[in-house]
Amino acid sequence: MVNKILIPIDFRVESLNTLKYCLEERKQEKSSVLLMYSAYSSDSITELLFYKPAKIIEALVSSNFNDAINIIKNTYESSLHSFGIELFHGLNRNAFLNFYEANEIDLVYLPKDYCLKPYKNGFDPIPLIKKSKVQFKEVAWTRDHDATNKDELNQLFK
Amino acid sequence: MRSIRKISIQLIISISLILIFLGSSVYYYLSNYSYADFYKRLEARVSVAEKYHFESNQKDAQVLKNIRDEHLELLSDEKEYVLYCPNVNSLKQLADTNSLPINFLNLVNSQQFANFQKDDIFYHGIKRETPKGFYFIIVSAKNYYNTHHLILLKKVLFAGGFISILIIIYFTYLFSNNFFEPINKIITKVNSISTNNIHSRLDENKNTVEINRLTTTFNNLLNRIEIAIETNKNFISNASHEFGTPLTAIIGEADVALLKDRTQDEYKETLQKILTQSERLNKISQSLLSLAQIGYKDNKLNYEIIRTDELVMQANEIMNQLIPKNNIKIDFDLLPENPKKLKILGNKELILLAITNILTNACKYSSNKPVVVSLASTNNEIVMVFKDQGIGIPESELPFIFEPFYRASNTAAYDGYGIGLPLTQNIIKIHKGELIISSVLHKGVTIQVKLPVATL
Repeated sequence: MVNKILIPIDFRVESLNTLKYCLEERKQEKSSVLLMYSAYSSDSITELLFYKPAKIIEALVSSNFNDAINIIKNTYESSLHSFGIELFHGLNRNAFLNFYEANEIDLVYLPKDYCLKPYKNGFDPIPLIKKSKVQFKEVAWTRDHDATNKDELNQLFK
Repeated sequence: MRSIRKISIQLIISISLILIFLGSSVYYYLSNYSYADFYKRLEARVSVAEKYHFESNQKDAQVLKNIRDEHLELLSDEKEYVLYCPNVNSLKQLADTNSLPINFLNLVNSQQFANFQKDDIFYHGIKRETPKGFYFIIVSAKNYYNTHHLILLKKVLFAGGFISILIIIYFTYLFSNNFFEPINKIITKVNSISTNNIHSRLDENKNTVEINRLTTTFNNLLNRIEIAIETNKNFISNASHEFGTPLTAIIGEADVALLKDRTQDEYKETLQKILTQSERLNKISQSLLSLAQIGYKDNKLNYEIIRTDELVMQANEIMNQLIPKNNIKIDFDLLPENPKKLKILGNKELILLAITNILTNACKYSSNKPVVVSLASTNNEIVMVFKDQGIGIPESELPFIFEPFYRASNTAAYDGYGIGLPLTQNIIKIHKGELIISSVLHKGVTIQVKLPVATL
């Protein structure tokens, strides 16, 4: 059976370490991964009228982030069954549980030490997820605390 | 300057054409309308006259007369004719006696009613047949409106058009001057910048976006030129320093040795020192030569398909021989599952040289602290990441580190002459790759090398 895994991200290379360690841990089985970015939905009517999640995601993906995703996809080609990015606009526990059920998620992986740094209009969903009493696992990695705050591809490497 | 004149002339001509077109169409349609309208008025008078003369009794005639006097304004030179015509042959005589145009009477005769204009007099007439023969009922008048109002309109249109064209010429001149003024300013300013005052920049004009973009482009260009000039200066001073140091040592040694007679051992020692320095000089000139060569001869290299993971292993073996105390760790965690994505097209010796150069630097400037080499692959690029924990590079000096002979300010304690990194950069460049350096002072340097995956 393919397990579906949810990982919150902030579209920065460093947050993909969760994905990397998650896939490393589950190398023996096939898993399907859904990356989730949480953002407040817009309150402008025109924006809601022309709401296209794919466009929002496209605008947020930087070339470094894209490279990092491709690196991970190439590395775990055989164990990665499917892969997707979704936007989550909910604000409370029920909204998250809805999202969780609608996407048939089995397990959530969270970063332990890394704190998501979402872009404008985004928020950090980790407290919400922890409160939702869904099954989650935390992964930790050694972080270059002194590294520059820039979003660089090398943050994916040891 | 010429384009100012060209634009303004084009603008003036096109606007004048539009004005002329507008004026003449106003005139044409209004005069057309005034003719039609005037004939309608004549028609109304004719029909009143017809009713008055033929279809009314005494009482009605009085009413009609009143209506005509009260409501139908008397036109200038208005004349009313009710002409009896016993037969067609008397038309000519009828026309002559009433001084009416004969053509008009013929028209009325053949068409039952007709409009006619002779000079500035307008005619409308109808033919009414009675048992006794037929009558012509005709009203003629001068079109006062046509003669006066239209002439006035013509004058107004001409004068207005002329004045508007003058105003347009004035404004066009003003606008074109205003439009080109910032460009002229930029031209004067750029002309005034030479190698002596290369640090001066154009003032940014916040009002116009296009001009602002132009000035920013110029300023960026000037930045790059300034850096190029700066690095050129650096190169000369660094190169003369690099060549100068061993030469001074050689001269000094020889001088001291020649001061007085020495023993054979002392001569030997001196010669040995001179030899070492000469070797160093030789090495510098050799590497300078190879740097120059790699910069040019990119089509003479023989390229082959190489697996980068093997390359990294080989580089590691070379490093073990060169610096036995090294602490290089190879991290293949992110290696792609598909080995095809690890293959690149390149010259094996050169890329090996580039990797060992980077590794030598990493080991040297970190005093053999751990250096991690990672290898990964996106869909079209191989990414090699070299992380060390060395002394780092000051951020202000990052733009210059690819310059031959440039050495960062904190490298005095380490041996080297600043050719390795430019050489590496050139090698990566001729393989259409990318070398990205990021650094935190005292914490270490991270070098990313991206090379395009070979398409098989």
